[in-house]
Amino acid sequence: MGRPGLNRRQLLAGLSGVTVAGSLGFAALGTGADALASGADTRVRYWNLFSGGDGYNMIAMLDAFRRANPGIDVKDSTLQWGSPFYTKLAMAAAGNRAPDLGVMHLGRVTGFSPGRLLDPWDVDLLAKYGVREADFNPELWKRAVIGGKLYALPLDIHVQLCFYRKDVLKKAGLLGDDGHIVPVTSVDEWFDVLKEAKKATKKGLQTIGMWSADQNFQWWFFVAFYTQLGGTWFDDANTEVTFDTEKATRVLEFLRRHITDGYVNPGFAGGAGAEQFVNGGPFVWEGNWSVPVFDGAKIQYGATPLPPVFGEQATHAESHSFVLPHQADRGGAANEGAHQLAAYIVQHAQQWAAGGHIPAYTPTLSTAAYKKMNPQSEYVSAMDHQATEPKVWFAGSTGILAQRVGPVVVSSTMGSAKPDAAARTMKSTLTELLAMKNPMDGRTAAQGGAVA
Amino acid sequence: MTTTSAETVIAPARTRAAAASATVRRKQGFQHGAWFVAPFLVLFALFVIWPLLRGLYLSFTDANISGDATNFIGLDNYREALDDPLVWESLGHSVYFTLLVVPCITVLAFLLAMLAHHIERGKWLWRLCFFAPFLLPSTVAANLWQWLFNPGTGMVNHVFGIETAWLTDKSYAMLAVVVCTLWWTVGFSFLLYLAALQGIPAHLYEAAKLDGANAWHRMIHITLPMMRSITGLVIALQILASLQVFDQAVVMMDFLPGPEGSTRTFVQYTLEEGFTSYRVGYASAISIIFFVIIAAVALARMWLLRNREEGGR
Repeated sequence: MGRPGLNRRQLLAGLSGVTVAGSLGFAALGTGADALASGADTRVRYWNLFSGGDGYNMIAMLDAFRRANPGIDVKDSTLQWGSPFYTKLAMAAAGNRAPDLGVMHLGRVTGFSPGRLLDPWDVDLLAKYGVREADFNPELWKRAVIGGKLYALPLDIHVQLCFYRKDVLKKAGLLGDDGHIVPVTSVDEWFDVLKEAKKATKKGLQTIGMWSADQNFQWWFFVAFYTQLGGTWFDDANTEVTFDTEKATRVLEFLRRHITDGYVNPGFAGGAGAEQFVNGGPFVWEGNWSVPVFDGAKIQYGATPLPPVFGEQATHAESHSFVLPHQADRGGAANEGAHQLAAYIVQHAQQWAAGGHIPAYTPTLSTAAYKKMNPQSEYVSAMDHQATEPKVWFAGSTGILAQRVGPVVVSSTMGSAKPDAAARTMKSTLTELLAMKNPMDGRTAAQGGAVA
Repeated sequence: MTTTSAETVIAPARTRAAAASATVRRKQGFQHGAWFVAPFLVLFALFVIWPLLRGLYLSFTDANISGDATNFIGLDNYREALDDPLVWESLGHSVYFTLLVVPCITVLAFLLAMLAHHIERGKWLWRLCFFAPFLLPSTVAANLWQWLFNPGTGMVNHVFGIETAWLTDKSYAMLAVVVCTLWWTVGFSFLLYLAALQGIPAHLYEAAKLDGANAWHRMIHITLPMMRSITGLVIALQILASLQVFDQAVVMMDFLPGPEGSTRTFVQYTLEEGFTSYRVGYASAISIIFFVIIAAVALARMWLLRNREEGGR
């Protein structure tokens, strides 16, 4: 009685084996056919994190590269942005299955174990394809160099901006003859501007959207205004916290005042700020990636870097940059192809600028085509006054620093903590982080953590 | 008599033969059964037992995400976890969520099941309406409620004529996650209750009616007592599921821990430590702590139930 059952099972096992083997075979055939069809002799595997409008622009740039370089087959993969991306990149590099080219936020590079998870760029090879240090903002380039080697090739900087509605500001008398917002140079001037703008705002709309409950945005705004005050984080040796609680308190009070003076409705704390702006709210502080959104909404608007209310110009900036994930046997045609591809994209970033980002390759910025772009050309100066997180292993976009300190800024802005108390909490958090060992190499920031 | 004597001889032989063939059948049955169970056992060992043991080992090390060589650091991770305010805060959030969800879902599921059981017209429609959300993936349910709770254009504020910042005010954020969860998951408990209601013999109600019991008495003296064991099951399953809350909260808060960290659950904190801070050893230690807590809850429930059953006897 058991026999037929066994046969049936054998048959089933056999069938499933054939199915699995078959699908593997087809998969292998697929990749082979893929490579054959392209007629290319070099394949560059490229991982990026660009979706939405950025993804569309990146694909257009890759297609242009493919047309110009039929000998190189670019196999691009778009992965979910954020921590999952960095996790996958780290594990791929550690397991020696890394792609030939990757994208990272520049601020995260220091914590990504350069030398172990990342390989340095061959600057001579980059020069061969037309990219040189002289073509980049020196501050930006300096951030990409760790232990004397270039670990990241910046593609852009993306900044926090003050978007304003020209129609509302005109009504409020806040628009200059050049069609731009009147200059603002102090906290009082800024709140005067808000006061006038509020009078010209339709009922039910807030005056300014500023992501008051979002830990990332509030942290970015803090970094911008704290830098305007000349605030520092750590000493050069990364052994001491130089964070100035008095300056921090001034910044936190400034952010908080938007709510207490009634210019921000805490009910519209998140992405609703952008909706309010589209509906006629005069101001919103947003990342430059909102440019395509507001363009699409067909509203009359302008965008400047965050107002220099504490005197110095400074706005928060991060940078998408190309990296070479670690490969034990890096070199050869695929490596050269990765250099060539990155150099090409960096030099052809005009398309990229349509997404609101400021191209890092400075010759692009002086072209007539770029100067014609609006509002991009209005905030291009942000390249020269970038406010960035400190260059330590725990910093960088959505990194540990932002995760720990961001909520503290929010607690002050939203009113659940007093600004001076929040500033002290920030300082103690910074002290803890400075003493913390980088899990990647067991060393603290002072010991050069992550620069293995 | 001969037949009788023959029977007396043959019968034990038959019995012996029957017993022997039963043993063979049992043996064969076991072999066949083992083959059927083997795939599950292999997968269980591969994806549950092995990771658990591996996690336990890693919790005594300073392992990082890259899988590089690690150092054995003994109980350091556990010591750190006990002093880590975020461990307690996130555990508090998970427990708070559980305390809100479990009673609500139990009562709601029971009421909905009563409604679907007793209503005569369009029975299938009610059952579909109550159960359908459970079929949605968590991301869909969470995104849906993210829109509904949107302060500007969301339906919730519009319907009630209020301006509550559901997702950005720390006082309401967890409540919003709870509401989403109730809508999304009540269908499962509803189904359990409905099946149990349908299993109550009709003659009990008929007899009670003949004895003059009104609807209220029938509910108190028949329905509720008959529902006791299924209620125990619903509560236990909900507690275990709610303590592990993660996906809907994370999606609703755009992959952040909510306003001022107010919806950061224990699972989310574990994930942050492991995959954002790259501290795999530490993340393993706190997940082991969580495993122990969940196991303790499950065991306590089993113990309580057994005591109650024994007491009942």
